[in-house]
Amino acid sequence: MVEIFDIKFKNPVFIASGVFGFGLKYKSVTRGVGAIFTKGITLKPRVGNPPPRIYETPAGIINSVGLENPGVKEFCNSILPRLKKLNNRIFVNVAGFTIDEYAQIVEEIGEGVTGFELNVSCPNVKEGGVLFGQDPKMVGKIVRMVRKRTRRPIIVKLTANFCDPLKIGKACVDAGADGLSLINTIFGMAFDIKRKKPIITGGLSGPAIKPFALYCLHRLKDLKVPLIGMGGIMTGRDAYEFLLAGASAVAVGTALLRDPYAPLQIIKELEVLLQNKSV
Amino acid sequence: MIKHTVKILKKEWLSADIFSLEFNLPGLHPTPGQFFQVRINETFDPLLNRPISIADYEKTRVSMVIKVVGKGTELLSKKKVGEELIVYGPLGRRLKIENKNSLLIAGGIGVAPLFFLAKRLKRAWIDFTFVYGARNPSALVLKDEIEKLTSNVIFITETGGKKSGTALSVLSELNLTVYEIGYACGPKAMLKELQKLNLGFPIYAFCEDFLGCGCGLCLGCAIKYYGRYQRICEDGPVFELKGIEFDGGDI
Repeated sequence: MVEIFDIKFKNPVFIASGVFGFGLKYKSVTRGVGAIFTKGITLKPRVGNPPPRIYETPAGIINSVGLENPGVKEFCNSILPRLKKLNNRIFVNVAGFTIDEYAQIVEEIGEGVTGFELNVSCPNVKEGGVLFGQDPKMVGKIVRMVRKRTRRPIIVKLTANFCDPLKIGKACVDAGADGLSLINTIFGMAFDIKRKKPIITGGLSGPAIKPFALYCLHRLKDLKVPLIGMGGIMTGRDAYEFLLAGASAVAVGTALLRDPYAPLQIIKELEVLLQNKSV
Repeated sequence: MIKHTVKILKKEWLSADIFSLEFNLPGLHPTPGQFFQVRINETFDPLLNRPISIADYEKTRVSMVIKVVGKGTELLSKKKVGEELIVYGPLGRRLKIENKNSLLIAGGIGVAPLFFLAKRLKRAWIDFTFVYGARNPSALVLKDEIEKLTSNVIFITETGGKKSGTALSVLSELNLTVYEIGYACGPKAMLKELQKLNLGFPIYAFCEDFLGCGCGLCLGCAIKYYGRYQRICEDGPVFELKGIEFDGGDI
């Protein structure tokens, strides 16, 4: 059991946004983790990017899904009620293309969820996304705007793409963010050497980025807000490293592509490590 | 998605770069086109599992026919009889087999799921013709097994032998008016070409792609089908060829 934002969570292992659908399929996993962060929700439905959307690199993957989602109305009507029945903590990942959109989405969803994760760091969309997340003034505006619309905890998901997450994190906290999650995927690219052309550009995730993610998180440890660490967590040991670096909880993403049950294994392994402090 | 730890019971090289693996998994009722996500190793490079279609399921035994095309399949080819393997599945939408005179068109390693289909058609007493093209005679695998299923079979290779060509180039030799349904599996170029031929009966393409999760969660394996993105792993992998928009979505 952990307590973050004055809310109790059954454990500190969460499901990261984007790689687990809406958590409605593997219910034992959704119920077993501390919280689920939904897929990114936008104001209007999005069909996502054309393929290829995924590419494997050494110890990582590059994805370019492009925030495919049914839009906030459909989410509220048909997905959220089913998600709530699973009786676990739900953070809705909110992706806007304008500052107003973030506030509109949060307002539409209302107070019936645990909290919100503001996605200001998606590298796979043309407008908004990571461009917002690289600018401290812009993220500050977004957080202030959303703060007025909800009493629920606001977590901002940070990028480390071409910016200092510490500066961005400070701006978020000053504007009223309750917590920060980091890091979102980092820019990545792969080439087809036969055609001499790029195959994909998108967000790199997985064990390949773990050392960088740990470093970024550790830089923010003095900000006095809860940090949710993520980036290549595949094992309980990985999760423990993030907790040692200053995280209050961790989120599992890419590991789910390899094994949808991975978070349950990570929880077990982490429990052993936390009980045996001499490790 | 059910996770299984299985023991490799049989491994056999069928050509220089194609091998088969067999393992026991009782109680499955797989249909042709369904596949397993196969764990390559316990380290994280390669990170993702590999989708491998079911080439046969007899009593309790699963057979997979795999071509070595990259690092993942290369590592998989090094597995030995007696070693354990983690597999997830069977995955993919179930195919309803129709009682219609069928034409099966396989290109290269696309033979694997169509062999499974041919076995099921034979079991259901449904007439079918099997056309199978490969690069060269040594790359034609499962030849004897296919011949045991039907005498309506055409093998063709691009090089070697008296006659050369592709699975599509021999279609003109067939009386296409007798077929009511077709099934195809092979390289994207073959499927694209086949779509253009417009044979006059519906053709179902068994699509293969690099998958992320393999179970409908990550939305990584999108294919544009009748104007909308579908997931190859969960909504497919079998789609009506007519509806696939090759320019709007890769496979």
